[in-house]
Amino acid sequence: MSTAMAISNPTEDEWKQPSRGMVGMACLIAAESAIFVIFVVAYIFYTGKSLNGPTPREVLELPIFSTICLLSSSITVHFAVHDLRASRIGRFIAWLASTVLLGSIFIASTAAEWYKLIYHDGLTISTNLFGTTFYSLVGLHASHVIAGLIMLGLALILAILGKVNAHHAERLEVLSVYWHFVDAVWVVVFTVVYVLGR
Amino acid sequence: MATHTHAAAVAGLPQTMRRPGGILDVVQDWVTTVDHKKIGLMYIGYALIFLVVAGCEALLMRIQLAVPNNQFISPQAFNRLFTMHGTTMVFFVGMPILFGFGNYLIPLMIGARDMAFPRLNAFSFWVSAFGGVLLYFSYFAGSGLYGAGTAPDVGWFAYAPLTERVFSPGHSTDYWTLSILLSGIGSIGTALNIVATTLTMRCKGMKLSRMPLLVWLYLVTSCMVFVVVSPLTAAQIMLVIDRYLGGHFFDTQAGGSAVLWMHFFWIFGHPEVYILVLPAFAFANEIIPVFSRKAIFGYPAMVAATVGIGFISMGVWAHHMFTVGMGPDANAFFTFSTMVVAVPTGIKIFNWLATIWGGNIQFATPMMFSLGFLFQFLIAGLTGVMLAASPFDWQLGNSYFVVAHFHYVLVGAILFMIFAAFYYWYPKITGRMMSETLGKWHFWLFVIGFHMTFDFMHIPGLLGMPRRIYTYEADRGWGGWNMIVSIGALVQTVATLIFVYNLVRSYKKGEVAGPDPWDAWTLEWSTSSPPPSYNYAELPTVGSRRPLWDLKHPDDPDSNFE
Amino acid sequence: MEHRNEASHRAVHMPEPTAAPMVLALGISLIITGMVTHVAVSILGVVMSIGATYKWFRAVLPEEAHEMVPVHDEPIVLVSSRKSIEKLPLSPVHRKMVPVETFRFATGLKGGIAGGIAMIVPATVFSLLKFHSLWYAMNLMAAGGFVGWAHQSNAFLAEFHIEGLLAALAIHTVTSLLVGSLYGAMLPMFPRWPILTAGFLAPLMWTGLLASVLNIVSPILNERIDWWWFIPSQIAFGLVAGYVVNLQAKVRTRQFQALPFMLRAGVHGGIGDQEEGHREDGGQ
Repeated sequence: MSTAMAISNPTEDEWKQPSRGMVGMACLIAAESAIFVIFVVAYIFYTGKSLNGPTPREVLELPIFSTICLLSSSITVHFAVHDLRASRIGRFIAWLASTVLLGSIFIASTAAEWYKLIYHDGLTISTNLFGTTFYSLVGLHASHVIAGLIMLGLALILAILGKVNAHHAERLEVLSVYWHFVDAVWVVVFTVVYVLGR
Repeated sequence: MATHTHAAAVAGLPQTMRRPGGILDVVQDWVTTVDHKKIGLMYIGYALIFLVVAGCEALLMRIQLAVPNNQFISPQAFNRLFTMHGTTMVFFVGMPILFGFGNYLIPLMIGARDMAFPRLNAFSFWVSAFGGVLLYFSYFAGSGLYGAGTAPDVGWFAYAPLTERVFSPGHSTDYWTLSILLSGIGSIGTALNIVATTLTMRCKGMKLSRMPLLVWLYLVTSCMVFVVVSPLTAAQIMLVIDRYLGGHFFDTQAGGSAVLWMHFFWIFGHPEVYILVLPAFAFANEIIPVFSRKAIFGYPAMVAATVGIGFISMGVWAHHMFTVGMGPDANAFFTFSTMVVAVPTGIKIFNWLATIWGGNIQFATPMMFSLGFLFQFLIAGLTGVMLAASPFDWQLGNSYFVVAHFHYVLVGAILFMIFAAFYYWYPKITGRMMSETLGKWHFWLFVIGFHMTFDFMHIPGLLGMPRRIYTYEADRGWGGWNMIVSIGALVQTVATLIFVYNLVRSYKKGEVAGPDPWDAWTLEWSTSSPPPSYNYAELPTVGSRRPLWDLKHPDDPDSNFE
Repeated sequence: MEHRNEASHRAVHMPEPTAAPMVLALGISLIITGMVTHVAVSILGVVMSIGATYKWFRAVLPEEAHEMVPVHDEPIVLVSSRKSIEKLPLSPVHRKMVPVETFRFATGLKGGIAGGIAMIVPATVFSLLKFHSLWYAMNLMAAGGFVGWAHQSNAFLAEFHIEGLLAALAIHTVTSLLVGSLYGAMLPMFPRWPILTAGFLAPLMWTGLLASVLNIVSPILNERIDWWWFIPSQIAFGLVAGYVVNLQAKVRTRQFQALPFMLRAGVHGGIGDQEEGHREDGGQ
């Protein structure tokens, strides 16, 4: 073994690079954002271009409650990571559980909304352009929420089984960044679909 | 001159390393591997197989078009051939071969032991590979178990509404959509891996400003993949919704827009060309300085130009749509932005010329291909500027002139640099040199074949020959030109066969290369050839952009000057 | 989960091989293949994906699986093929280093802003004296951006238009900043006679360039421009921008670090004496 490769300036003894998980998540978010942008563009492009009803104004209602649930789950997941880092496992589990609960309420209310749209208003994905763009955009977001819920739920189960400790805080933080992203996307979807698109 | 030794193995360690014995062990070794070098090699190998397949498709098309009124293959088969040729070359040859070299080289060049996410790396490769298999499965089971249709025949950009269920029944178009979806997942996974590796796994002292330019260019390419391949994935999801769930995204009869598909496709499609060409630039950035015996000229300008190309290329897509009738404002904007891309690209060409200028040029095969690349890429860029002018494009859009232009980029620039990369890094990968004699034969035959095919292909385009036609009347005056083009394709085939023979033969009989056959300056040449699975026993530390120069010339290291 | 910095001298930790990624990829591909073949294929794919996901999770949770790869003892000798030759002792360092000192990026921008403000004075004087309007020069510059203004009269251009003000402001700001940063980059290259180069030659060359392309860029401006007034305004820009740039302190580039200590300390010779050098890999 030799140190022949070690030709470096003596000033650079500190060598820090960003965390792998965070960079990976940032990349994933960049790619996902691009997908959402395309769906949002398609939604805006086709707003008001449907050849037949029902129109958004007739059938859509503002999902205020579920939006509040989803957005506040961002706060709870933040506290969860914070407590895990400080090794307060009990509080961590409580915050994480409330995050999963809030996310589930959101998904349940989306399901209820879709049930109403399909069976009462007769709007399906093949009814008109509104149906096609609405279900695909909201559905794409919902599938991301579900994926996030599965991951958070797994973390919750492992935590209850006592297998999570402060050592895992960084991984959980990466997961929480994903969850914040899903929330941020909902703000855009909400604005486009329920505010501007109506 | 310097020596460093890999640390000694000490007896009594848990020897978990697999010893390849029978064929099953070998298969298991490759299937379960998470080693970036093996994954890189699998990428390259699988791309080479598809290169041969898609090359054969091109050859069949050229035979069909060689003479007027030809009936060599059926019109339906012809439609499938050009669709499969384009799709394969872009998604299952270009992307994987470039990702393969990136996978192999990036960790070595930044002094890391593996990629940031080794398992994701393996997953990305396999998902792309199965995508390619699914695409070609359409030839054997194209009718599916449900009904009509075989291989996709909608063209590689699959314009709507031709792709809707009504016009394209059966599953042929689904094969196209789904296999590209799979390949897209793989591309995004690998790009994510490359970015994370570059940003978080660099060895000590490897600041961003010291990274080899190849790594920089791959970083930019990978960032582009996120913003570019994702829209394609989104558009494919929409198409699947249309075809399976009865959606109306691109269904013109229900108010859907065919032009929207064109936008979505070309938002992917044009930057995709830059995703393919940037790695080719990356190879040139490594090869040209080594064989000119000079450091690269204008490193910061190269980085800036690359980032500039990355950004500008996102805003040029609609130059593929001048003939759609977008109106004067959009036409003017996209003409302008397309011409602006020529500026950073020009900076690169001048930097390469300045690197060669006054150098002690060594005409080894990699350098020959690089010089061919410089010349041909310039011409490809010039016809690109011509087509960027929208009135000119109205005249020649969808003609063979366009086909000649983009093949000049894809073959004349990208494929030439891929060949150069093979000759340059083959000694590192296998430990043996490729034959220079065969390499020279390969180069000259390929140059001749290339220019016969693609120089003369411009002419029938100017004479009005549209692309994607099955055959043509004898009195159009295109026959002679097409004959030359087809003969050129045959010459290229012969050259490629020599290359393949050289690859195979050199593996056993090539001259032993040693760790650093080219007297190069980047880190990968400081480990043995082929590198051990852990790359470096001791992680290196670097003090300049040319760590091996510093190592070989301790009296005059670059690190004093950066 | 770290497998980078534990280079023990006997064996290296490498991630353990696993079939999970390949099986997951195959599973996902089969799910999708089911869409073009039969739903049974999809079901098989789902089963494979779930199994592979589980295996994958086990490989990274709670700790990343590793294998120990023994390190082989292998000496690596790197030799340069470059032959060294004696060099003539032209200078203490044999590499060319330009520039040793330069301006900060912001310096050029400051110069651009100052010059841009100074340029307004002759332009406004021109407007007032020739067309008795504060706004004529401004509107003329903005007209390049508005196709509709091409056939307007001088009287129209002498009036105040808010869009004219905004467009002219945008064009003027961007151009001034760009030219200013060019000054910042170029002035160190012409250290002698800064007044002549920056104040007169550069504006004249710029005017000449503009005169040759103005017909394409802005035909309306080309029709009405008064070059005898234009040149003084450019020179005003050049003098002020050059003056402001040269007022600012220079910063040392990294090349400075490479100079021998005597030079850096200012004991021996001047920095300007470092002109002679050799190409860096000359002695092949």
